[in-house]
Amino acid sequence: MTILIQAKGLSKSYGSHQVLKSVDFSVKRGRIVGLVGPNGAGKTTILKSILGLTSYDGDLKVLGLDPARQRHQIMQKVSFIADVAVLPRWLKVENALEFVTDVHPNFNLDKARYFLSKTNIPMQARVKELSKGMVAQLHLALVMSIDAELLVLDEPTLGLDILYRKEFYNQLLAEFFDEGRSILVTTHQIEEIENLLTDLIFIRDGRIILDATMEEVAVKYIEVMVSKDDAAKAEALGPVMQRDVFGRKVYLFEGISREELEPLGELHSPSVADLFVAKMKEGK
Amino acid sequence: MNIASANSFKALIKREYWEHKGAMFYTPAIIAAVFAGISILIVITGGQLSVNGGHSFSFMDFMPKVLEQFENVGDEERSRGVQIGLYGARILFCVVMLVVSLFYMLGSLYDERKDKSILFWKSLPVSDTATVLSKFVSVCFLIPILYFAVISVFQVFLLLFGTVIAWFGGNSGITLWASSNLFSVLFNSLLSLIVASLWLAPIWSWLMFASAWAKKVAFLWGTLPIFMIVIAEGWIFHTSHFIEMIGDRIAKGFIILNSNMHYLVSGDMFDMDVQRWYQVFGNIEFWGGLIVSAVLLAGAIYTRRYRDES
Repeated sequence: MTILIQAKGLSKSYGSHQVLKSVDFSVKRGRIVGLVGPNGAGKTTILKSILGLTSYDGDLKVLGLDPARQRHQIMQKVSFIADVAVLPRWLKVENALEFVTDVHPNFNLDKARYFLSKTNIPMQARVKELSKGMVAQLHLALVMSIDAELLVLDEPTLGLDILYRKEFYNQLLAEFFDEGRSILVTTHQIEEIENLLTDLIFIRDGRIILDATMEEVAVKYIEVMVSKDDAAKAEALGPVMQRDVFGRKVYLFEGISREELEPLGELHSPSVADLFVAKMKEGK
Repeated sequence: MNIASANSFKALIKREYWEHKGAMFYTPAIIAAVFAGISILIVITGGQLSVNGGHSFSFMDFMPKVLEQFENVGDEERSRGVQIGLYGARILFCVVMLVVSLFYMLGSLYDERKDKSILFWKSLPVSDTATVLSKFVSVCFLIPILYFAVISVFQVFLLLFGTVIAWFGGNSGITLWASSNLFSVLFNSLLSLIVASLWLAPIWSWLMFASAWAKKVAFLWGTLPIFMIVIAEGWIFHTSHFIEMIGDRIAKGFIILNSNMHYLVSGDMFDMDVQRWYQVFGNIEFWGGLIVSAVLLAGAIYTRRYRDES
């Protein structure tokens, strides 16, 4: 099975407010997919649907199972870290290890001990005695020790300082990720993860407005730095966005070939953040 | 149930104990320790205890007389006295257990949502059914067994304490142990604790259901609907069957806990129908309560399963 998540016509309404408007997407094995969108766009609803934490309309399969009815089976092969520190404050570190060992058939206790041995987290401590960064380390150690096929991260580094944030993703790449697994991640700090991503999904107002691999994005979206004199020529090609940088203009083009753009100036791949801003403004 | 899910259920029960060790174990243990400490202090200071400065009261002078009386009453009467002492020592623990169970149930499915740890629990392959049932099993079995353990230690302490006093009075203390009927007391103590909790199952399940529903202040969600039903019933039918039924259920739960005591004090402790723990199984109300409880538990499972926190 190469497709881990398959969504067709995924919809969700709260009363008359439709937060997901018939969304289609899939996540293949061995990919790191960034799900990016402004607050309220439907990111969290998508994640919650995948994890069986909310009801939805439409067709959704995670590892071939139905999350609305088979959450606890799915969680044998799927891990997630949610956007807030959610480890119970009263839990002792050693008890957390014991509990997950008892309930999770795919948890490797030795691995978890090894990850924790590289931190300063005392086994006897309760979660409430740990710093926020340490709680994130503990949670990551637990999750990385689960032999999961899919890891879902919802703003996993929110509120962490920069050292922990960098370490968090470095460790995930070094110790967890391989071609047998996939990671689905949402975050506001896109610049932190853009080099890790293999796929990008943009969502706005409950609709997917971009769903592509990073290679496709690099071919389709090109940024050109143009001197003021050539501005009119560039604008004639219909850029999707423009901004001023040190007296020059930077234009972002969608679907225009490199050959056409090269004469105008220096070509770059846009940052995901710039691309995001451009796509969010589109049609508004 | 296969081995993996049995293991996982055991882990869920352990989890409840870790989280509620204070209410489930330390609370009764501290109460027992305080009472034991007070008893010892009274004896130690007893020799020098002076009342109103002048009249000194000597515990040690007084003891031989008590002991002599103790040895001279009939066997049956003496055994009754000792057992009343042992059962009497349970009463406070029983009250505390019911209060602790009540608050445990009110928080059972609410606290995890309040501190958001539900997202961690739900990230593990444990079904909502297993989670909810583990909390129900904890209130019906784990808490009674832990309270039983503490009560038993306290009762044995009381007998040891009595023995030491008997030694001071020049007696061996064997009569005390022989009169205690200890194993029967322990057996009845354990079973009445568990059966009373099962008798109260509909109450626990209601509180759990309310706890799964509550958006804020689980206590209000647990009590307000009941008051509303009571008020509505009074308004429409001018009756009060519902509140009487609940009061009756709770009172009888307390009576089951202390029915042995009731019969030892010649049956005039409670002015109600008194059921011994084994008589409860023949009571249709008990089984009816379990059915109501099952429905409410199903509601709690469903609510935890489909509740969306956003």
